[in-house]
Amino acid sequence: MSGPLLLSIESSCDETGIALVDGGRRILSNVVASQVALHAPTGGIVPELAARAHLRWIVPTLDEAWGAADVSWSDVDGIAVTYGPGLAGSLLVGINFAKALAWVHDVPLIGVNHLEGHVYAGWLLDPGDDAESRVAPIFPLVALVVSGGHTFLAEMTDHLTYRLLGTTVDDAAGEAFDKVGRLLGLGYPGGPAIQRAAEGAVRRDVAFPRAWMGDSYDMSFSGLKTAARRIVADARAAEGIASDDTERALSAATTAELAWGFQDAVVDVLASKTARAARAVGARSIILGGGVAANACLRERLAGEAADLHLPLIVPRPALCTDNGAMIGAAGARRFTAGDRAALDLDARPSLPLATR
Amino acid sequence: MTHDGRRPAILAIDTATSRVVIATGSPTGVADGISTWQAGHRHGETLLPSITRFLGEQNIRRSRLTGIVVGSGPGAFTGLRVGIATAKGIAHGLGIPIVGVSTAEALLAASGVERAVLVLPAGPSDRLMVRAGQKPEPLPAGTEPKLGAGERLVALDLEGRAPDDALERGEVTRERLGHELIRMGAERLRAGGPSELETLVPDYVTLPRGVRAADGSIAWSRDHR
Ligand SMILES: [Zn+2]
Repeated sequence: MSGPLLLSIESSCDETGIALVDGGRRILSNVVASQVALHAPTGGIVPELAARAHLRWIVPTLDEAWGAADVSWSDVDGIAVTYGPGLAGSLLVGINFAKALAWVHDVPLIGVNHLEGHVYAGWLLDPGDDAESRVAPIFPLVALVVSGGHTFLAEMTDHLTYRLLGTTVDDAAGEAFDKVGRLLGLGYPGGPAIQRAAEGAVRRDVAFPRAWMGDSYDMSFSGLKTAARRIVADARAAEGIASDDTERALSAATTAELAWGFQDAVVDVLASKTARAARAVGARSIILGGGVAANACLRERLAGEAADLHLPLIVPRPALCTDNGAMIGAAGARRFTAGDRAALDLDARPSLPLATR
Repeated sequence: MTHDGRRPAILAIDTATSRVVIATGSPTGVADGISTWQAGHRHGETLLPSITRFLGEQNIRRSRLTGIVVGSGPGAFTGLRVGIATAKGIAHGLGIPIVGVSTAEALLAASGVERAVLVLPAGPSDRLMVRAGQKPEPLPAGTEPKLGAGERLVALDLEGRAPDDALERGEVTRERLGHELIRMGAERLRAGGPSELETLVPDYVTLPRGVRAADGSIAWSRDHR
């Protein structure tokens, strides 16, 4: 597709991302200022600090993205910006910065749903790819998006046309990784830490409960978190650690086994439901997105399911799975081409659902 | 007074209090247009459309703006984020300097009261007390401000939580905020200090308990072609 060249801005959570994307697929530049370390001491995002960090870093991020792309404002067809869902204070920074730029440079503004951004990351090209040789996702498709903030499974029958199949009824999967990572003393963020620990597991038979939620595609991870607390407490007792002993940690071997068991339970639910949905809707491709898509175990398991179904699995490279500006440019290009334009009164929609046009 | 569209102008924005103030003025610091409105929590919807309409009414072309002045607080979170993000976007887009002016200092100067003590809300029950040139002090609910000889309270956005005469002085002060922002901002712009386009962040009234405001701790990822 030849399409618009968009400047795209993402600030819905704790990453300030700005990118220049050509035709919704070719990344000219993609810069992310991540606040993970800023929020590490509290083990979770502090909204007030997140918004302030967006304000502090948005101009350097734009300047970096601009400098790396070698374009001029006359080349830019529009500005795409995330307007929800997300943290209100964080969203406001990107939205108002984008609106002011759009007004000054007299280019159209396109509001993009953050969730569809994660899905559209599946259309972005890798370095060296050209649009002809690299297969784009094929409709109908199912998309699984898993991160610290969202966990959902959706069907897409065409561009910008979504049907939400299922979503988490409580915690996001990434949130469960964070909480269990802390429980196991592995630090924040929990996802990469648990994966690393799990790789060292010798025994791979610790069974954590799975919440199958009947026939629905909904998911639940809060019970798993509660079970993890009990399993960790039992393991500590088995190692002779007093329940009030905050000094002694579980042995590395047990920590690794529990990390593996927890990860296996999450991956099992996510992959099984995605495969069942793909079969049910007659999907012709599967997209995996969101920060948890960086988890190697989830990627491998889903790749296996997709192979069994003879379907291509599209997983963007890790930098495009976590929040970034390029994915907003990918979705924004489709909205631009469809004629969607936002006015200068565009405001944050913290609970914006995955929309259908 | 209206412009001929070609004269240079500066634009001031303040979103720290319950009333948004936007003002235009000469680069020498004389305000010539002021617009204010009650924003509620709709700063995000109203600010930029109001600025574009206001500049149109003043017949000021955006390309004639030579500097942006923005109130940096302390004040309400939502307003400050919208105000500063908008100001940065305009300044970056036009390639013009931006300066942050403390809303509290501008209000103190605008009050016209010799020894003014400014009181602002800090959340639903606490308040914040500011004296010129001094660090703001928290004023927890239930405590009364201790005033020195000759000091007078100026209160904003504290209906029912501050004496009537302090609130009246607050309203008079608010009327003059636009003038003061233009005056103080123009002075700072003329002084030509380092650009605040990158570094400017809001002065929050309060942060959640146990949270400290760190400035660094950013990890960069560059994922180009
Ligand atoms: Zn996300």
